[in-house]
This record gives sequence, C-alpha cells and structure tokens, in this order.
Amino acid sequence: MKQHPLCTDCEPPVTPLELPVPRAVKQEWAALETRRRFLGRSGKVLGWAALAGLFGDMGLRIYAEGADAKSPSPALNNALGLPHFAPKAKRAIYLFMSGGPPQMDLFDYKPNLAAQFNEDMPDSIRGNQQLTGMTSGQAHFPVAPSHWPFGQHGQTGTWVSSLLPYSARMVDDLTIIKTTNTDAINHEPAIMLMNTGNMNAGKPCLGAWLAYGLGSMNDNLPTFIVLQTKTNPKENNQPVSSRLWSSGFLSSEFAGVGLRSGADPVLYLADPAGVDHDVRRKMLDTVEEINRQTLAEVGDPETNARISQYEMAFRMQSSVPELIDLSKEPPSTWDLYGPEAKQPGTFAYNCLLARRMAERGVRFTQIYKRGWDVHDNVVGMLPVLCQETDHGAYALVTDLKRRGLLDDTLVIWAGEFGRTVYSQGGLSRDNYGRDHHPRCFTTWMAGGGVRPGITYGETDEYSYNVVKDPVHVRDFNATILHCLGIDHSKFSYKFQGLDQKLTTPVPANVVLGLLA
Amino acid sequence: MTFSSLLAALVLSTLTGCSRAPAHRLDFNQDVQPILASRCFSCHGPDPEMRKANLRLDLAEWAMRKRPNHPDAIVPGHPEKSALVKRIESKDPHFLMPQAARGEAKPLSAGEIAILKEWIREGAVYRPHWAFEVPRRPNVPMLQNAAAWTKTPIDNFILAKLQEVGLRPSPEAEKTALIRRVTLDLTGLLPTPDEVTRFLEDRSPDAYEHVVDGLLERPTFGEQRARYWLDYARYADTYGLHYDNSRDIWPYRDYVIRSFNDNKPFDQFAMEQIAGDLLPMKNLDPLIGSGYERLGVSSNEGGTITEELRVNIARERTEAFGATFMGLTVGCAVCHDHKFDPTTQHDFYSLSAFFNNIDEKPFNEDRPVWAPVLRIPKTENQDAYNRVIAQRSDLQGKLNEMRGNSHELVTRWLTSRNNPPRAVETNGLVLRLRLDEGSGEELRNSAPDANPASFHTTTLKGEWGETTWLWPDFRMQSSTRVLLGQMGDYDANQAFSSGGWFMFRSAPYHPASFGTLVSRMDSTQHDRGWELSAEDGFLSVALVNQMPKEEGQRETKKSKEKGKSEKKVEAKEPFNYPSPQDLSKKDLASNKPPEQKKAEEEAAKKDKAEAKAKAKKSSTKEPPKDTTPTIGLRVVSVTPLPLDGAWKHIFLTYDGSGRASGIKIFVNGNAIATRVVSDNLGKATIRTPAPMQLGWRNPEEHPAKDARYQDVRLYARCLNADEVARLPFEDYTAEVSTHLPSQWTPDQWHVVSEFYLNHVDPSYQAIQSKIAFLDKDLDRLSKGGDLTQVSWEKPSLAYANVLTRGVYTARTERVEADTPHFLPPLPSGESHNRLALAKWTVSSANPLTARVTVNRMWYELFGTGIVETTEDFGIMGQRPTHPELLDWLAVEFRDSGWNIKHMYKLMVMSGVYRQSAKSNPEQLAKDPKNLLLSHGPRFRMDAEMLRDIALQASGLLVENIGGPSAKPYQPPNIWEEVSYPTSDTVRYVQEHGDALYRRSMYTYVKRMASPPNMDTLDAPMRDVVCTRRQRTDTPLQALVTMNDVQWVEAARALAQLVIREAGPDTQKRINRMSEILLAHDAPAPTEAALAASVRQMKEHYAKDPKAARSLVEIGEKKRDASIPQSELAAWTMVASEMLNLDETMNK
Repeated sequence: MKQHPLCTDCEPPVTPLELPVPRAVKQEWAALETRRRFLGRSGKVLGWAALAGLFGDMGLRIYAEGADAKSPSPALNNALGLPHFAPKAKRAIYLFMSGGPPQMDLFDYKPNLAAQFNEDMPDSIRGNQQLTGMTSGQAHFPVAPSHWPFGQHGQTGTWVSSLLPYSARMVDDLTIIKTTNTDAINHEPAIMLMNTGNMNAGKPCLGAWLAYGLGSMNDNLPTFIVLQTKTNPKENNQPVSSRLWSSGFLSSEFAGVGLRSGADPVLYLADPAGVDHDVRRKMLDTVEEINRQTLAEVGDPETNARISQYEMAFRMQSSVPELIDLSKEPPSTWDLYGPEAKQPGTFAYNCLLARRMAERGVRFTQIYKRGWDVHDNVVGMLPVLCQETDHGAYALVTDLKRRGLLDDTLVIWAGEFGRTVYSQGGLSRDNYGRDHHPRCFTTWMAGGGVRPGITYGETDEYSYNVVKDPVHVRDFNATILHCLGIDHSKFSYKFQGLDQKLTTPVPANVVLGLLA
Repeated sequence: MTFSSLLAALVLSTLTGCSRAPAHRLDFNQDVQPILASRCFSCHGPDPEMRKANLRLDLAEWAMRKRPNHPDAIVPGHPEKSALVKRIESKDPHFLMPQAARGEAKPLSAGEIAILKEWIREGAVYRPHWAFEVPRRPNVPMLQNAAAWTKTPIDNFILAKLQEVGLRPSPEAEKTALIRRVTLDLTGLLPTPDEVTRFLEDRSPDAYEHVVDGLLERPTFGEQRARYWLDYARYADTYGLHYDNSRDIWPYRDYVIRSFNDNKPFDQFAMEQIAGDLLPMKNLDPLIGSGYERLGVSSNEGGTITEELRVNIARERTEAFGATFMGLTVGCAVCHDHKFDPTTQHDFYSLSAFFNNIDEKPFNEDRPVWAPVLRIPKTENQDAYNRVIAQRSDLQGKLNEMRGNSHELVTRWLTSRNNPPRAVETNGLVLRLRLDEGSGEELRNSAPDANPASFHTTTLKGEWGETTWLWPDFRMQSSTRVLLGQMGDYDANQAFSSGGWFMFRSAPYHPASFGTLVSRMDSTQHDRGWELSAEDGFLSVALVNQMPKEEGQRETKKSKEKGKSEKKVEAKEPFNYPSPQDLSKKDLASNKPPEQKKAEEEAAKKDKAEAKAKAKKSSTKEPPKDTTPTIGLRVVSVTPLPLDGAWKHIFLTYDGSGRASGIKIFVNGNAIATRVVSDNLGKATIRTPAPMQLGWRNPEEHPAKDARYQDVRLYARCLNADEVARLPFEDYTAEVSTHLPSQWTPDQWHVVSEFYLNHVDPSYQAIQSKIAFLDKDLDRLSKGGDLTQVSWEKPSLAYANVLTRGVYTARTERVEADTPHFLPPLPSGESHNRLALAKWTVSSANPLTARVTVNRMWYELFGTGIVETTEDFGIMGQRPTHPELLDWLAVEFRDSGWNIKHMYKLMVMSGVYRQSAKSNPEQLAKDPKNLLLSHGPRFRMDAEMLRDIALQASGLLVENIGGPSAKPYQPPNIWEEVSYPTSDTVRYVQEHGDALYRRSMYTYVKRMASPPNMDTLDAPMRDVVCTRRQRTDTPLQALVTMNDVQWVEAARALAQLVIREAGPDTQKRINRMSEILLAHDAPAPTEAALAASVRQMKEHYAKDPKAARSLVEIGEKKRDASIPQSELAAWTMVASEMLNLDETMNK
C-alpha cells in the first residue's frame, strides 16, 4: 500500500483526483473530501519519505540496501529498473471465468458443425490425446453443434453468439483470441497454470508479480485486490483458493487482498464494536509514542516500518469504505451496469468496484466468477452464466472507455481452458454436455496495449486444434506483462538459485499480433 | 586498487561470501564457486541442454579438458594464458563473458575478476561443493581476551568472525530480556511474572542454566518444536485440491510433539517418518510417524487421469523429502538436469522411485481416510495392543529377513530339485499374448506354432510400462482395439479355456464398473458368441446363441443385489494391514465435532430430499422391452471382486458339455463360487464370424475401460483345476528357471521370489498366517480408536520412469530406487526401499542431514540460518556465514546421538545467544542483517506465537496437548466463498468453549482457505515444505492484532486480570501488564504514555456507556461483571495498545 520505492511510472504521491477522470466524477470525489480529512493530518500521518527524512535513512533501509548484492529482492529490483519500457497500460483488471467456458458456444463460430450433429468426431482430430477421466471411457464422441445462433456485430463484423448480446455491442473494442491453449486438462492444474504460470503450488500469481514489479499507485489501498462473485448454487462451482492470488516465493506483502461483500470488506478492517475512529486514533497515538521510545532504545529499523504500517492500516480503514460506498454513483452508472450492480457480490457489482479501483490506482484487480464447468445441461446453464456476466463485462469496458481510463487499463477475460466439441454423456437435439478441453479456448483483452477489434488465431472446424497462431498460456502472460511495460524474459526473481519467472520453463513469446 | 584492497572492499560490502582475509589462500567453495555458479553455470554447468561451446566449468576435469578449436579455458597457474580470463576482461562486447541471449548480462565486477585470476594463479584447485563433503569437526578457534564473553565453543567461532571484520559482540542482555527470549524460543510462550521474579532473585552462577533446563522439560517445548517441524513437513488438515476435503492425520502432529518431548534421537525421528512402516515396532509411533510421507496435497478431481496423479504424488514426496531432509531443491530436476547442482534427471526419478511404492490408490476418494490408514487403540487398550504389535513386528522382521535373503533361498530351492516349479502343458495353447513388448503397436503371439504370430493394435496404440507386474505392463487406452481375428472360433460342444492377468482401472467418481475382458461375441447379432466379463466386480462367463438387449446388465445387477444381502466377505490382500476396508461409517465420522456433524447431517438430509424430488421429476417411461428369448449359458460369481485396483488373475474353463455346469471361473488360481443365470443353450450354436477381441465386445460395446493386461491366453482345451492353479505364477517361474539365475532380470527375480515365498516355502507361509491371526487381535484392540494416514510399502520393486520434461506420458528409461549419484551410495546388497533411504539419510556418511537440521535449529533461535537459505544447501544456495561453526554443530549433533535437547541447550547457553538485542549505528552499517551476530536476535514472532501469547497473557489459554484440530473464531464465509459446494469443508463451523483458546498450532488448517489471521501474519499454507517463513510487516497485520475478536477478547481479559490482580492503582495496573507481556516494569515514559491513555479512554467511555458495553461484550468468554463497563472498556483499549506494541510483538 505504500508507494513502492522503485515505482517509476507515477508521480508520487498520486491522488485519485489526479487521475484522468471526467470533471463530474472529480466533483463527486471532492464532496467526499470531508470524510477523508484525516488523510491530511500532517505530523501524524508520515509518508514513507517523510519518515526517512526524520530518521536518517533508517526507515528506508530495508529497501535501500539494494547495494548489498547478497540480498535478493532489493538487488533484483535495482537490476529490474521497472517498467522496462513505457507501458501502454498502468493497471489491469482480470475477469476470471473459472470452470472453462465453452468457446464454440460463445465466440468460436463453427457453422459447419450443424450438419454433423451426433456424428462421431474423427479419431484423427483427437489423436493420442489423454482425455479426462470423465469421458475417456466414452465409446463415442458425438459432435454437439452449438445450440445458439451467431450473428455478426460491430464494424468488424465479428461473429458472436446470441447468448452474449452485450459483449456483441463492444466487439470493436475487444481483442479476441481464439487460440489460447494450455497444458492441463483438469481444473486444479489448469487454473494454477493460468494464474501462476505453473501447475504446481508455490509460485506467485500474475497479480503478485505485478505488485512486486510495479508497486502501488495509491497509498491507501492494496496494490492487488481480489473479488469473488457470489456463487449460484445451480452451477457447477469448481473451487478457487487463496493459492491463486498468493505471492508464492515473493514476499507475502504482494499477495492479493480479498475484498469481500459484507460488513468487513477487507478482513479485520472494521474496528470492534465500541471503538470509533477517535478512540482508534488515540490508541494508535499511544502505541506510536511508545514504539518511538523503543526505537530510540533498541535501534531496530523494523520498528520504524511497524509504526508506518499501523498508520497505513488506519488510512485503509477509511479508504476502503469510501471505495465501496456506491451512494454517490450518478444515475448513468446504474443505467450502464444495470440494477444487479447494486447487489454486493454480483458480477456487475464487482465490475463496478473494479472501475472504482482503477480510478483510485489499484494496480491489479482480479474478479473470479465460478460456475462455467458445464459437463452436462449446457443448454440449461449457459444462458444463466452469460446473463450473469455479459452485462457487467460490457459495462466495465464501456465505463472505462467513457472515463478515458480504458487507454491505460488492460481488461482481460479468460478461463482456465475450453470445452470439447463432442458431447459428454447423452446428446439430444435439446441438450448436451461438454468436457474440459485444453487445446484451444477463447479469451479476450481490451484496452491499454492491445489492438482493438481483431480476432486472433484460427481453430479447426471442430474447435479442437489450433490451425494458426497459437497463444499458449505463457505467451498470453508474456503479452499481458508487455502491455504493462514489462519484458517477461527479464522479469525474474532469484529463488532456489534460479531466475524464476512467470513465463517459464519453455520460452514464451509476446504475441505481437495482439498489440496495438 | 591492489588486489588485497579489492578483496577487503568486498569483505566489507557483503560480509557474507568472500570473507577471507587476503593473506589466506582462496577457498574454492567460499570464494570462487559462488562466482562461477551465479555467472557461468547457466551456460557452462551441469545441464547438457543449455551448455555452450562444450565448456563445463563446474567440474575440474571438464574445465581443464582440451576442446578442439577452442583455446584452453583454464590453464592452472597461468591466468594470462587462460581464455576464461581473457573473456571476462575483454573490452569487446561480443567477446566479453558472460553473455546472455539478449545481451543484457552484466560483466563481472573487478573484485570477481580478481578472485578468479588469483584462483587460477594459485593452481585453479577445485573442491567438491562444501555441502556434499562429510562434515568433520573443526578446531575451535583459539582467541585472546575471549574468556569474558565466550560461554560455549560456539562463541569462539562467532567471535573470531566478528574480530575479522572489526565488530565487537554486545554485552549480555538484561535478565528480564533474557528469560523472555529463552522462554519464548523454547516453549513459544511468555515467562510468567513469578518465573521472572524467581530468576531475578536467583543470584547463583547457574541461574540461567536452571531456567533453561526447566524449560526443556516442559511439554510446551515439544509443542514449540513441533510447530516448526509441521512447516518442514507440510502438515495440514485437508487434502488441498479440488474438494479439499478433510483428512485424518492429526495423530501425526501429536506424534511430533511427543517425539520432541521424549527427546527422541533425531536419527530415529527421521527414520520413522521416512520408513516407519518398515522399522521394528514396539508401539505404533513409527507407523504414525510414517504419515509424514502422506502429508502432501493430493487430489480426487473428477476428471483426473490416474497415471498423472500417481506421477504427481511421487514427485511431491520427492521434493518434500529433498527440502525436509536434504536441504536441496531436487524438484528442479523434474524436467531437466539441474542447472547448477549436480542433481540429474536420472537422480530425481531414482529418488522418486522410493516414494512410488506405497500401497495406495493415487486418488484420495475424498474420504478423510485415504488408505493405508491406521486405527490407534484407545488408551485402555494400548498396552495390550503394543504387546501384539511387538510380536507382529518380530514376525514381520523374520519375513523381511527372508525377503532380504530371497535370492539365496530361491537358488537353494532350485538347485535342490525339491518341489520344482511345474509348467502347464502347452498342448492346445493357441494364443498367448504376453504383452511384454514394452512399446509399439505389434503384439506377439507366443503360443507354440502361433498362427498368426502377431496382432496389431488399432485406432490408438496402448500405453506401455506405467506399472509393473510380471513385467512392465500394457494398458488399453479408451480407443485402443486389439482384434484377434479368427481366434476362439468355438461352438458349444468344444472345450476351451481363456483368461489372464487383469488390472481394472479405478478412477475418482468412476468406481470400476468393468466390462469385457476377453470376448468373441457379437452385440449386433443378439450377443451370439462367448465372453468373459465383469460388472461391478461380479465375474461372468456367457456362451450365447441369442439374448435380449440389456439382459446381461439386468442379470448382473440382480446378482449384485443378492451379493449385497449376503454377508460381504472381502478377502484381505496380503500386506494390506493396516486396512481401511472394514471401517464403518461411524469410524469415519469419529473425528468431527458434534456441531459439524449435525450441520452435515442436516445438509445431507436436504440433499437427499432434493435428489428424491429430482428423481421423481426425471423419471421417464421405460423403453419397450426386447422380447428376444434367452438361449445360452451364463454363470456369474456369487461375490464381487474387491474394487481395489490390484492385479487379478482371472480365468475361465469350459468343458464343451453344452451345460452351465461345464463352466468354471478362477481367480488367482482358485475356483470361485458361481451362480447359474441361464442354462438353456440346448443344441443351438454360439459360433459367430465376429472377431475375438481384448477388452471389447464386437463391434464396440461394453469396454473394460482402460484396463491393464498381462499374459492373456486361450487354450483349445479345458484346463483342469491344478493347471489353472499353476497359471498365475508357477508356470512363469518354471519358464524363468530354465535360464540361469545370473541371467534373470530384477523383475524375474521378483516374480520367482514372490512365488517361492508365498507358495513354496512353508515357513514363510506359516509366519504369514500367524501375522494374520495377530492382525485380528489388533483389529479388535483398536476398535473405536482414532484414525490416521500412514505409509505401507508394497512388496513390489520400487521403480520409476524418467519423464521427458516431467510430462507423465513421456516415459523413458526405467530406473530403480536409488540415491543421487553425487552423494554416498546405498550399501550394496540392501533392498532399495524406503528403509534403505531412511538409514542412508541418517548415516554418518551423509553430508547433508545433520547440517541441514542444526542450521534450522539455528534459524529458529537466531532468525537467520548459518546458511541463510535453509531450503537450499546446493550450489546456488547462500554460503554459510560460519562454515566451521556449522560443521562443528553438525558433528556435535551426530556425536551426541542426535540429541535434540542437547543442541538447543548448547545454543541458548551460548554467549552469542545471550547478547543484548540492542544495536548501534556501527553494527547496522557494517552488518545490517546481523548475520555475524554482533548483537542478540530480535524479530517479530510468528503468527502462532503472537496469538498464543495474547491468549496466555490474558489467562485465556487452554493448554491441552493434542487431539483433533480446533476451530476457533474466524470471519464469516472464509471457506464458503472459495470451496466446492459438496466439499466436507465448505462450511466453517466454529467451535465454542476451550476450542477457542487452544494454542494456535491446533487450529484447523484448510489448505485452500487457511486461517486468515495466521495467513496474514505469514503462516504458510502448508502446500509445500516451508523451512523459512517470510517475516513481513503489513497494514493487514495491524488490522488483525487490533480488530480480530481473538485479540480484542484477549485485551479485555488481560484488562480484567490486571484490574483484579493489581488493585485500583493505575500505575500498578500498567506495571502488571508490562510484567506479564514484557517481563519488566514499564519504564517511566512508557508508563506516562499509557497513563495518559487510560485517562483519555476513561473519559471517552464514561461519556459513551453504550460503546463501552459493546466493546466489553466482544468474545464468548463472559466478562467480569463486577468491573464497571466504562472502566473495563478503557482498560481493554490500553491492553490492546500493549498487545500491539512493537516490543510485545518481538521476541
């Protein structure tokens, strides 16, 4: 939450009012100034730099000892000099569609399949692929064409399923990737690979890498925030875990902070009943006074760090409630996001929060939406899933664009894999199921750094194999880093003797065709 | 700048690596290797794939080797002639080394170049990597004027180093600070004010030693040590993937506590965890300890591919073993040879083979008990149980001894010609698919005069060598077909026999429903033909003229019902104790708190009702019945085969009588009871033009999904029972024994030995039956006991395959279990199993174990290891700051009989430990991380300790040792938000009463949503081994210790305590609080600040009684009603201030 000492891409200290935001919105914030008056308590709230000024460079020591080549993180930070080049995007919002959306029912239009209804997919298409335990015993692999009609939209004439009427409206802003592919065929390894670049536990996720590399743009909010969408019990809600937003071998301060719907948006944020801000302030003043005595007596620089972290905690106690207070959102917001956005925990609500975080300088926001694991009853469940997510995603991109934020915000929409064209279980004219499919799936990006209005890559007529321009998870991540000004091949952290990267072990490539 | 001034500058700037005075000769390990490793090895190191110019600098012989068309890299004694020096000094950017792909590599510093040149000038002497040489006890440095400060030999080493860099050690800490530090370090708790007073009043010279001795004897010592060990062992209460269901393994945690409290020698402690199941036993502890192997994350995800899972598990265990016991990052060699360490891929997979041989299914079935599981007897039965287990262990020892001698026994047997193995006559043998080809698509028919001589797999080739039985096996993939043409074209008046070895696929959520094994049957012609198949374990043989659709299934379902109503007797496999098979539902539920059980029962009821409603809705009309009359013979086994994923020899014989009574089914050579389902073939034909097939019914029906096969045969005659009895092993043994034993493969040795022991040697069998008898006793004596997961070795050979890039399908070389090639080998003649690995780990030849372990002890006490990278003693790990001290401690540890308490005592008695923690600017400038220890350790306590001392200080702590994990306060929805809806850990049911106040090491750890207050304070998720916690300082931590109900309640309880104990005087109360938390009176300025705060808070809460009331009612412990609310609220805030002080949070 502190200004990252090596953050070079923003002028310290940036305030939300300096962000490129329309005047009306700024006025709205100005009205909130009174509630944030404590932020200006000079003499009490010491910035990092001020602390350093008061206490020599002790306050900065833990970061400034980069000169010591033996100390891994500072030395690396120095060597990193991040960002490596001028970034197109300063922040990113990742809409994670956990479970694996079926690409051929949403974006990957395969009109010829209708004629092959219930015919076995040729063995040559599948080759020697190991299937999941769910369909490996199936004697037949009958083709299940999409149940829904597709239409062409936008200037670009991009084909989109009728399930996604809102997304269809913004295709000209999207960079659609049909050829994303992964190594894992089951959820746990696939979701780990997508989020951390590795199928096994213990590695940092994309957000943690960004927090580590780029630092914070806001003194009062976490650098990396994770939002969970309320689950719909009808859906097949594969689990997620804090492993997906963990910092792995990076310092745990870079882990994602969960922002929750409910009384305590950040865990333990609220003061206990009977403790108001005034009491808290007094309590902190006493603690600080005594800690300063300890510092003078013992001389441990860590004491300094503790004093400032308590102050930051105090600031968060106000900045986070301000962040989630939607009462001042203008009517146009609700017109855009729909009434669902007023209910905490819905996808639309989370999208709205993501926009507010982007405005306030949160570096990376990840929204998890579970339920896409449609092994059966695709016809019953997919409309529900689309209805839950289509509107919010559209509103977010449109809202960012409207406010001038889309230029330097990268929005990403992806699951951990795609689904099979063949039906899992029974196939009828009315319904079908789809198993996990790693060889190709559709994702999209929008905003800072990527080329709008294109569809990248081609799949075969069964949406089973990539025929042109594959984008492996590693390439996908390398491209995201690129948009944020990071050369993935140089962005590493020494751990267990190795230069660990998000994009190892096989060399990854930035997908130039996706870039603006 | 001269060379020596360069070196001196380096010493001062880094203080860690190159700390040799320039007058000394360079030390390869300390000075040279770190430079070569970090700057050169990635292209000129052990990994052949990355190697450039055929130059390898990690080994002397390679570095000095002549390379055609290349100048000599290193010419010992002559830096000016060495190409290496020219390259690192070059001004030409294209010639300069190091280079990197993108040209951004930094050139070596002047200091580094100077060291390399000096090293070459001195003769370029290579030394083995320091950590791979056996430690020898170095001389303790002799120092002048040291007597006043040094208290143990440790101090001489520390002082020598400090003097080298011109730092002075600090004076001894004040007694109050010292007793607080040592009590926290040894017990994880604070000293009580009384203990502090006693220590202050004890003026005897050994007062401190008394305190230390007392602490080492406390049961909390074991808890504190176990808390660290559980990080090293990755202990948790759930499986960690997908459903993330609960697992029963907390008895392992209690075993660890017990072991430390009993001061169990570390070698024994380590051996029990690595191979407790193979050690002699006097009680269950070794077996409980072997749960260590099974602590890793594991999955039961629905689509999981069994083979992938099996590989992942072995890999996880190997990496964990490397981290816990070797301090090496062996996992780097999963995909390729290690880039820096000498660990090759071959080494990695050989090591993984040790962990590949545990008798378990690769998936955990989402049950808390994932076999093998042990049931621990209740206390009252423990003595009786231990007597039996000791007897059993003796007998098992005899069996193990015989197994160890099996080569000799087998040779003696075969030369004696007594009771020799008899082959089965090959007359009538028309088809014999051994399926030992090991690769490819051609399957040889090895029957005499075979015609045709081979068959091809079609559609998709099979998978070879994933497991081993008689030999590496063959698995049919989902679309593998093996068409056997005109084989088996018999009518009902012809006798024939067929079958072989089968292993049915067993995968999560797909209880093996089996299918066709061998068949010549045509489903398009009313199933005309013959077939051997299985349905839910019920074996079935059919000779059919015609049959209505679905008949087969209905019949087997009926027999299944029948099977259920009969008493289900599942034959226990040998080597299967401890077995989970006989656990009742009650057993499985025994570890859950009643609230949770109730909640779960209600949820289950609801689910059931929903399912019922759903079923009602979806019930559709039955399809019209097929009216084809049944004409055929069909017999079905009375009892099902256990669905245990083990190899089974299944065989049918038919006498050509046209009657059902002419069909017999054999399992593992024994005829089984069958039931006649149809017996009305009459004179009708069963002949069909459809081809004979393996695993499918023609054309593509009723597959035995992904089953494995070996030695499948077809005889054109009816074998008699004696012949069938010899088929599984004896026939093959007879075949093998026609060759000289010296020519046998290890697999052949294994099969022949197994046959000899289990079928020929009467003494072996006698002991086995005695063991079976004792097992019944053990079963009885452990009724109703707690369950815990353990290891249990299979009798098979421990092996693994090297996997290209670590991909589970890319199997290459098959490797035997073995230790890494660069470390001492296993003693010859010993079986390569986990027991051998365990002995090796703690053998005096092992250079790593003792060093790694004492280094972690040092880390626990001093905050940083002597080797800072406690997890990596490899070439890229940090060099020890005090290499001689580390070796001295390692040898001392071994020579003391691996005495753990002795080592902790030695360390805390040292002068260096007893120093004051205060630091001065000179120390901070010269050694900011205090690696040289010029002052005492001071760092923020771990999460658990912070919570524990808050509970202890406030008098809330409940000090019960062990038992099922507790569920204290947790914010709402932590589990619900992320879990799978049907997980058994989807709902967090908070407990009440004592469970809220137990030590934090007992808090339930759900891996996919770990306790958030602990997580925020850097407690690891226990997904992987953690030998070094992060120690961050974040605002979220401040929020926890200020706002978590656990801390707020503790603050209130602490306030009550001091109000009661210290009377009305503010100063006394403040001092009491200070004594409790900090072990000393509050100094005047602190007291002043707190007193001012008391006034402010009192004023505030006097004005706002409602707020006061809200605050003091937080937490489930009833507040002391005799204290006025506003007073209590004010003091609660002051207590919270105290709990949040920097001094409180640091040890």
